[in-house]
Amino acid sequence: MPESSKMRKPDVKVVLLGDTNVGKTSLLHRYTERKFKDTISTVGGAFFLKQWGPYNVSIWDTAGREQFHGLGSMYCRGAAAVILTYDVTNWQSLAELEERFLSLTDTANHDCIYAVVGNKADLTDTKAYLSQETPDANQTESEEHRSDVLSACPTPPASPVSISGVTFPKQVTREDALAFYGRILRYKGSDERTSLPAEKMCFETSAKTGYNVDALFEALFDLVLPSMLRKRNENQQSATVDLEVCRKGGGKRGRSTCC
Amino acid sequence: MDTDNDQEGETQGVKICGPPLEVNTAADTLATSLSLLGNHMFPDVVARKAAREDERAQDVPEEPPQDTEGSLSLQATEPESQEHQDDVADGTQSDSGEFVVTVLAKAKLEEQGLGVKGHSSPLLEVGIQESPPAAHGGSHRDEDVTAESWRRHRKHIFVLSEAGKPIYSRYGSEEALSSTMGVMMALVSFVQSGDNNIRSVYSEEHTVVFLQKGPLVLVCVSSSRQSEQQLRSELLYVYYQIISMLTQASISRIFEHKKNYDLRRLLAGSEKILDGLLDLMDSDPSFLLTAVHCLPLASSLRDSLSQILQKAITPNLVFSILIAKNQLLTVVQERAVIEDARLEPADIHLLLNLIGASSAFQAGEIWTPICLPLFNPDCYFYTYISYLDPPECTVCLLLLSTDKEAFYAVAECKRRIEEAMAAQGSLGLIAKAQTYSVSQVGVADLRHFMYKPFDVPDNHRQLTQFTSPEMEAPYHTEEEKMRLLDLYRYMHGRIHSNSRPLKLIYHVAERETLLAWVTSKFELYTCFSPLVTKACAITVITKLLRWIKKEEERLFIRYPPKYSTTPNPAKSSRGAKAEQTDSSDNGFLSLL
Ligand SMILES: Nc1nc2c(ncn2[C@@H]2O[C@H](COP(=O)(O)OP(=O)(O)O)[C@@H](O)[C@H]2O)c(=O)[nH]1
Ligand SMILES: [Mg+2]
Repeated sequence: MPESSKMRKPDVKVVLLGDTNVGKTSLLHRYTERKFKDTISTVGGAFFLKQWGPYNVSIWDTAGREQFHGLGSMYCRGAAAVILTYDVTNWQSLAELEERFLSLTDTANHDCIYAVVGNKADLTDTKAYLSQETPDANQTESEEHRSDVLSACPTPPASPVSISGVTFPKQVTREDALAFYGRILRYKGSDERTSLPAEKMCFETSAKTGYNVDALFEALFDLVLPSMLRKRNENQQSATVDLEVCRKGGGKRGRSTCC
Repeated sequence: MDTDNDQEGETQGVKICGPPLEVNTAADTLATSLSLLGNHMFPDVVARKAAREDERAQDVPEEPPQDTEGSLSLQATEPESQEHQDDVADGTQSDSGEFVVTVLAKAKLEEQGLGVKGHSSPLLEVGIQESPPAAHGGSHRDEDVTAESWRRHRKHIFVLSEAGKPIYSRYGSEEALSSTMGVMMALVSFVQSGDNNIRSVYSEEHTVVFLQKGPLVLVCVSSSRQSEQQLRSELLYVYYQIISMLTQASISRIFEHKKNYDLRRLLAGSEKILDGLLDLMDSDPSFLLTAVHCLPLASSLRDSLSQILQKAITPNLVFSILIAKNQLLTVVQERAVIEDARLEPADIHLLLNLIGASSAFQAGEIWTPICLPLFNPDCYFYTYISYLDPPECTVCLLLLSTDKEAFYAVAECKRRIEEAMAAQGSLGLIAKAQTYSVSQVGVADLRHFMYKPFDVPDNHRQLTQFTSPEMEAPYHTEEEKMRLLDLYRYMHGRIHSNSRPLKLIYHVAERETLLAWVTSKFELYTCFSPLVTKACAITVITKLLRWIKKEEERLFIRYPPKYSTTPNPAKSSRGAKAEQTDSSDNGFLSLL
């Protein structure tokens, strides 16, 4: 078992960014543990390895204070995908992404892909709300298990097609998110025509009901596959690029190729 | 019935440091503020006496200081004697502090038509005021702050900025309490304007303690009957926990740039960590004793664990800490670092609380900046946290580095530690390690104890520790545990009283007898069945000390092991080791 844990070198890195309380940890918890729990608070960054087919995906969940303590760029270094998360009921959380978090992604890979994710959709969208098993929305204390119906279904479409029954006014519209995605591309200097389309990269999710959570992660993993393959190739070509070397290098490393 | 009196608790008055206040017109404003505060916090407040600290001390008769070190002559505090009679101030004296409070008292009496209540014994109410603290979860945020139940909480804690902006409240949301906090701030700034620092306010049922640290003001409103000193030290822990997440330097800089900055933006999500700290302080005597509790372990096993940690190193690693069941197994420290400073128990407590409060998601490996405020309040260590026994998650490894980029290197140290522990079957052995039962001491009548040795002479940089058995019947329910802890807190408060410290207290309570004893070598708190005699207690303590001596190897970390991870020890001074927070400057201003 120690031998295998040593072998589990990450092939690719995905980072969850966004203000505290938007539900980053809940999203990851829902995806990896299939549960929604209410007693989670993140300190710093938490590193997870997730098996995706033959690949090891490393996922960094962050606390939301990254810009302040200066570790954000470390978490983002060499990332192949960044999930910029906001809370659909909190307009400020979208604004914060632009003001505080976007600049942290400067250390990500040049071909890094960006997903804009509006979480807590269960609070604004009947469809997301109904994904859950029990109709009692107040049961946040207890663990709620993901709806069997949903997990039995084939993977839902990567982006919710339209919002049919809005239960109460949203603070962040899908159009806001799409527009923000456009500004990300401009910030990165990417060409909108050759980049992944906003339609495909903006998600609305609910960690609470599980709505669209698998779709988000699976779509991203699919998209970073080329990046993983390239990395595997690099690793095979030059045996120097691995954790062992990073460890021995110690001290101050520049933007290393490792994870 | 327990009739022993708590002098601190029954003293009514406002204690104000420094010279008396000038009587000025601002006093009226303050009086209004105070009565507002009274409305919010305690409608039955009856402040009856105000005095400056020095005057107050004379008012408080206590046993003469006894120097019983090394001998076991005991003096009981007479259970029946009324140790302290209050003078009822009538507001005719000229001290303005007194004036203000008298105004307050009158205002309250008129408003509420309340009479002066009779005194009650401090320890009578202890433990029955509130059910034990709720588990982590922070459901207190939604409390109705106007409800009676909100007022009745045993201990309120508020944190606010100097500008009066709410930062944290233990119960109820800060927003709902912003007017209360504003009033507290008015109180603090009023007293500051006279070059005084307000330190505490006593009322019939509450002690209000203020602590100002840099740009933060911390307030505790307690009906727990703890001493002012104890409450202040708890406030200090709260302050340090905030520092542990942000560093003192950052907080100062933020408020230098923007006086009315809303610090909640940076502490968002950390309420649970502070909630957890407050619950822990109520239930864990480690904080009271400022000592760490290590898990009893055969010294051979502890040594082998230390050796495993000693071997798994990487440059810039400074502390390797192994924890099981929230108790310390071993700590290995970088040799050069401990020449400068030792690891303080308080820093370990804060670290343990931080882990505990964020442990809900235990599958991952955490890499986070953490400041150890007593080690250096202005610097971060980069801390790797991982559980070694998922999914149980009782054994936790902490590796502290000064290099923020070292995550992968440090994670690799963990793999090696994991491997070595697997090879030696350490996890299985750790799982068998138990806290012990007081019955192992083998003396009747002894129900519980807490023993804190001071530094062993030949190793003065040793970590301060204490040992204590499991709390067993009759202290097995939450209420009874809390009651015993309250008794210990009371004994501790008297032993460490500022005005009249004591070396030895023999306290006959209703349901037990307690003895607290402090010497140059140790601090000891013991709890006996109520029928024990003094002579018997002395015999038991002699036996207990002998037993501890015999078990020392197992009960304590004897010689904290060291390693050298840094090739150039010259750069190991405190300031250079832990990274200054300057690196966080990029983007720092945009936060404001
Ligand atoms: N209604 C609702 N609440 C959520 C959802 N996701 C998270 N939350 C709640 O939002 C709060 C913050 O979640 P957390 O995952 O800790 O946020 P993080 O700080 O971004 O990691 C918690 O109280 C969660 O229970 C969601 O999809 N719907
Ligand atoms: Mg989180």
